[in-house]
Amino acid sequence: MGVMTGPGRLPEAERRPPVDARAGAAGTRIDLDGVCRWFGAGDTVVKAVDDVNLHVDEAAFVVVLGPSGSGKTTLLNLIGALDAPTAGTIRLAGRDLTTASRAERTLIRRHTVSFIFQSFNLFPALTAVENVQFGADVAGRPDPAGIAREVLGQVGLAERAAHFAHQLSGGEQQRVAIARALATGNPILLADEPTGELDFRTGVQILELLRAQAQAGRTVLVVTHNREISRAGDRVIELSSGHIVADGPPAGGKAAIADLRW
Amino acid sequence: MSSRALWLRWSWRDLRARWAQVFALALVIALGTGTYAALLSTSAWRTQSNDASFALLHVHDLRVALSPGSTVPEGSLLTVARRLPHAAEVAGARERLIVPTQVAGPNGVLAPGELVGTGSGPGPAVDGVHVTAGRVLPASGHGASGGGPPAVVLDLAFARQNGLPATGLLHVAGGRQVAYTGIGQSPEYFMGGGGGTAVFLSQKTFAVLFASLRAAQDLAGAPGRVNDLVLTLKPGASPAMLRDELRAALAAMSPPVSATVTTRSDIPSYRVLYDDIQGDEQLWRAVAVLVLAGAAFAALNLTTRIVEAQRREIGIGMALGVRPRLLAARPLLFAAQVALVGVLFGIGVGYLVGLPLAGVFESLLPLPVWRTPFQAGTFAQAAVIGFLLPFAAAAWPVWRAVRVQPVEAIRVGHLAARGSGLAPLLGWLRLPGRGYHQIPLRNVLRTPRRSALTLLGVAAAIATLVTIIGLLDTFRATLGSASAELLRTAPARVTVSLDSYYPVTGPAVAAVRRLPAAGRVQPGLLVPGTVRAHGTSVSVAAEVLPPGALWAPALSAGRLTGGLVLSRKAAADLGVTAGDLVTFRHPRATSGGLATVSNPVRVAGISPSPMRAFAYLTPATAAPLFGLTGMANLLTVLPSPGHSAADIQRALLNVAHVASAQSVRAATDGLRSSLDQFTGILNIAAAVALLLVFLIAFNTASIGTDERAREHATMVAFGLPARTVLGLITAESVLVGALGTVIGLGAGYGLLAWLTATTIASVMPEIGVTAALSAGTMAAALLLGAATVAAAPLFTLRRLHRIDVPSTLRVAE
Repeated sequence: MGVMTGPGRLPEAERRPPVDARAGAAGTRIDLDGVCRWFGAGDTVVKAVDDVNLHVDEAAFVVVLGPSGSGKTTLLNLIGALDAPTAGTIRLAGRDLTTASRAERTLIRRHTVSFIFQSFNLFPALTAVENVQFGADVAGRPDPAGIAREVLGQVGLAERAAHFAHQLSGGEQQRVAIARALATGNPILLADEPTGELDFRTGVQILELLRAQAQAGRTVLVVTHNREISRAGDRVIELSSGHIVADGPPAGGKAAIADLRW
Repeated sequence: MSSRALWLRWSWRDLRARWAQVFALALVIALGTGTYAALLSTSAWRTQSNDASFALLHVHDLRVALSPGSTVPEGSLLTVARRLPHAAEVAGARERLIVPTQVAGPNGVLAPGELVGTGSGPGPAVDGVHVTAGRVLPASGHGASGGGPPAVVLDLAFARQNGLPATGLLHVAGGRQVAYTGIGQSPEYFMGGGGGTAVFLSQKTFAVLFASLRAAQDLAGAPGRVNDLVLTLKPGASPAMLRDELRAALAAMSPPVSATVTTRSDIPSYRVLYDDIQGDEQLWRAVAVLVLAGAAFAALNLTTRIVEAQRREIGIGMALGVRPRLLAARPLLFAAQVALVGVLFGIGVGYLVGLPLAGVFESLLPLPVWRTPFQAGTFAQAAVIGFLLPFAAAAWPVWRAVRVQPVEAIRVGHLAARGSGLAPLLGWLRLPGRGYHQIPLRNVLRTPRRSALTLLGVAAAIATLVTIIGLLDTFRATLGSASAELLRTAPARVTVSLDSYYPVTGPAVAAVRRLPAAGRVQPGLLVPGTVRAHGTSVSVAAEVLPPGALWAPALSAGRLTGGLVLSRKAAADLGVTAGDLVTFRHPRATSGGLATVSNPVRVAGISPSPMRAFAYLTPATAAPLFGLTGMANLLTVLPSPGHSAADIQRALLNVAHVASAQSVRAATDGLRSSLDQFTGILNIAAAVALLLVFLIAFNTASIGTDERAREHATMVAFGLPARTVLGLITAESVLVGALGTVIGLGAGYGLLAWLTATTIASVMPEIGVTAALSAGTMAAALLLGAATVAAAPLFTLRRLHRIDVPSTLRVAE
């Protein structure tokens, strides 16, 4: 037990959720069993996600593919502990999300998953490096400023550290957003249409960054409606009307990101 | 569905979507409108009530007052009036005997006062007495059966302030007992007596007794003598002309008399009651304008937010070819509806505020007749201002929005990003703590317009609070400096007024010296007069201070000898300094009595006293002026060991020729306690001002929470607890609120200084009032202002806890 830092509160490190010993890459495992997420009631029930079974054992670049309304973003939100399933169980890095309280889900988001959004969602009041530092601060990492500078450099934006969001291009903003997610040090990255607001060339750069994280040992889940982008994944999970209709290598074979065209 | 119904329905949905902000803004408008209507209604109430009260009791148009200590045979002043060239213009006339006295009553009451005996005369009554409890004076002037002690009516203000019953027994100077058959009011004493226009402050410590002329003559030991005449004139008569005729007639009297002739507007109570209305109206307008300004700023903030939220829809409308006028209709309709709701609330608020306000004024200003009719015109005026101001404030952001290029209006996501405002200017400034701790200050700087509007709104409300409470501080400070000066030496001394001038070595003074309770007795003179310079006249009461006096004024300039020492207030009003020459008009003893003369006199020194009437001179200066060497009408008495000032006062009740006695300390304490009556009003004013601060801060915090929903959702998505997010919002609110409070403090002090220099100076010219804010008031304003704005974001906590992160992050605005 660490030193108590307040009435009944464990230090940050002690409050990280325990990891399942069966997991291959310890914090990168994702398990969904019979997960459903329904909205509404009676005759107006919308089954956004219906009886989904999904297991990610190790670090990988996984693409969740589906048209608009297929349930892919809802699935992402469930995995990211932003939403709770109507039925089924979700385990993340060995931790059962299904029965987790709001506070426990907050801890999951702080120490296990990090988000990358379609519209970046940078904090306009903070500079690029401060936005990245935010991730490290929230995760309670030591020397957050130093981590922020390092990670920002890894995404190629060291010289833009003092710029505010509105002074950056769309691609630069998304790279800052990725850096913010990386700065948390969390093993799972969830990206919701990360190239949705970007031009083709910039989108390719972003995908390459994300792919590199998967190669570095993280689990990266990318949600997209773009079938061409799915060819970059190690595994493609295709959703339709809330069900998984395909789960395996990309159709037509995996392609190098540089060879993608959309 | 007609297009009109569509717009209305659309606008209603806009209102409902932001109901909390709309309600807060409507409440601010309501407070501004209601405050304006209620406060300004009191002006009409007071004017109508003053007019009716003075008319009911036939307040005099002209008054002849002989110098203290002088009397003439009964009937002689009426004769003077009858022989005036325009005597036909006189409607009513009454001779009076007014003498200072000392009053001792139940509950340990012991105070100086005045006995006013009014005779009968031609025409209707003049300066009648309105009995509010008990019985009117019996015709005989004595008890009900014609025997018993003399009957008087006790002044209402004094009785109320001292908790005295409607009838009872009193002892007056000379050891006589009187029976007061009732309590009542007379026009000259509507606000109490004594102290010039500080009348209001002396209600508790100055007792006025109304009696018949016979009873007054009996009590004063002056049978068949009078020293006062009051006249009412017929409609259309010229008071100035009759005044001049009276002065000429009095000057021609033989033996000569020293007298002043004054008009109705010279009555301190009359002047205060009417002039006060204008002064108060200035203050109320300033308060109402500040509150409405706060409403305008809040309206501008909210409408800007609404317009921003509708930016894409406006752009889509432009793309569809909708006319700009129609595009503006929706947000303008929103603003108009909010303003209308606010005004309707405001009428209710004004009516509700008016009810207790009427009661407060009735208790503070007890008049025989109070009229509080609903002021439709004032409410209509308030409604128009309350509607137009926030509506006009909303028009500007709408006008800007419809002038934007359509392509700019429909941009979304990062392409629609705005600049960072002033944040880059302070990018180098890093506050301690984590990286995201920079967000509150940066957010304040990032939206400079909104921050400024909120800041100004808070400042307006705090300025209101500071101005109102500052008035109390100002009077307390003024009284404090006056009492500090008076209590500087011999604080236990008692000031004893004799009913005339008596030889220092004579029996009247000897009787006081013989009292066991009296220690050192210092004879002196207190002579009324007028000092004139540069076309300005100032009434003074000049005290002759013997060498080695128990108390002498500290001087801020000059010296005590060689002329007249004036107060700083008198010197400022006259525009003179030490060494200047002034004209001193004063009574002088002649073989036939007192005559009024004028003499040039040097200003020897200036005392720091704020009381304009206080003037001093040495016996060497006084001797050739007054011709009263060896005489005294004022004794300064120190208690002997083992005795108190109250012991002296009680003992003096039975001593002949003693008109009044008051300890210096009791006089100043009484003045200070009179100010406490205002505490209740000020607490209400403070609560309203803080409510305004809260509403304005809540409005801004709510708007900020709306606008930054995506940022907050992102923070929550990254695992930041809602309480931390709330902490950031609160810090931002406190930053703006604290700055607004500081600015409000400065603005409030500025307004206070302006009101003091203009309004108060004209309503209370006898007191030199300088604006003052106590450290306690400033600290309280800072703390309360900061605490109130810090509390406002707490009301958004529920929204934060319930934030739908996925929806918030996905949906483009």
